[in-house]
Amino acid sequence: MVADTGTWVVVPVYNEETVIADVVTEIRTRFPNVVCVDDGSRDASAERIAGTRAHLVRHPINLGQGASLQTGIDYALRQGAKRIVTFDADGQHDIDDAERMAAIVRDGEADVVLGSRFLASTEPIPLLKRIVLRTVATLSPASRKLKLTDAHNGLRVLSRPVVEELRISMNGMAHASEIVAALASSSWRIREEPVTIRYTEYSRSKGQSLFNGVNILFDLSVRQR
Amino acid sequence: MIVQIVLVAAALAALVYFVRSGQNVGIRASKRLAFGLFVLLNIYAVLRPEDVTALARMVGVGRGTDLIVYLLVVAFVFGMLNTYLRDREISQHLTNLARQIAIRDAELARREEELTAMLRRHEAPDAGSAETAETTVGASPNGSRSARDHETTS
Repeated sequence: MVADTGTWVVVPVYNEETVIADVVTEIRTRFPNVVCVDDGSRDASAERIAGTRAHLVRHPINLGQGASLQTGIDYALRQGAKRIVTFDADGQHDIDDAERMAAIVRDGEADVVLGSRFLASTEPIPLLKRIVLRTVATLSPASRKLKLTDAHNGLRVLSRPVVEELRISMNGMAHASEIVAALASSSWRIREEPVTIRYTEYSRSKGQSLFNGVNILFDLSVRQR
Repeated sequence: MIVQIVLVAAALAALVYFVRSGQNVGIRASKRLAFGLFVLLNIYAVLRPEDVTALARMVGVGRGTDLIVYLLVVAFVFGMLNTYLRDREISQHLTNLARQIAIRDAELARREEELTAMLRRHEAPDAGSAETAETTVGASPNGSRSARDHETTS
């Protein structure tokens, strides 16, 4: 099988030294082009990434996950990426899912493929998390319009024309809703694919707190003024 | 009586400070005038509170102090919002700046790596290549799209 060199995998990294090298190695078994954006980590994440074959872009200061994604996207576009995969650094995503989603965009069946943990119900999702994520997905007008089932899934595949149009201005965690809102007001062909999330002890400890949802809603509401 | 002296002195001090830090060109003339007017009104209100009370009665508020508190709350909220929005704008500039630095650094590092690898390969036959490599480093990082990035799928 010929490696998929047109696809660039963007991994925002913040203090993930224990897992990042393994995650990058796993991604590189399918996608040779990986760019890790180290968002000013205070641990040895950057050194771990430097030990892999991934491209490393380092923010001089901590800017937030949304900013990291945009930086990684900008970098990948400058290297001639045809498609962008966004992939969380904590190892919660399955590389098979990413490959399947990338193939859908590559074959021109859709411009955007978003991962949803609720379409595939093989892995158990913590009850509280399930309720909150479903509520956000149902409350958000953009999610409803696109008939999305998962509000904040880090695994996405976007074609080059889509990301060229997209500007992530929410530096923090509100970028997921921002991306969905931008897609909802566009005419791109958007599809949701079932993905599995590995809720390991590690990813659970890194996962964002539910209180943060309040911050996200505030950021988004002020932005629309 | 004492409180009036203190308040007027504070207002005057603010005015003096504001005028003296006038090298600050960033502040617009309209804002300066507005601030000066605001301080003068303040002094007037401190010295003649009964006038403020009369004004409050006119607009349907019980006491002059109540009227001032209400106005203060509105002004405070607007000020906060203004600060918040400007804060966001500044952080957006900062983000763009940091992003450019990050990408440039990464691309330069990558380029350097490629060049040293290239030099190592050509070292023995061509000793003059070091000079040409030196000049390419300064070239636009935009143009450094290499052949390996081109699509070879299917």
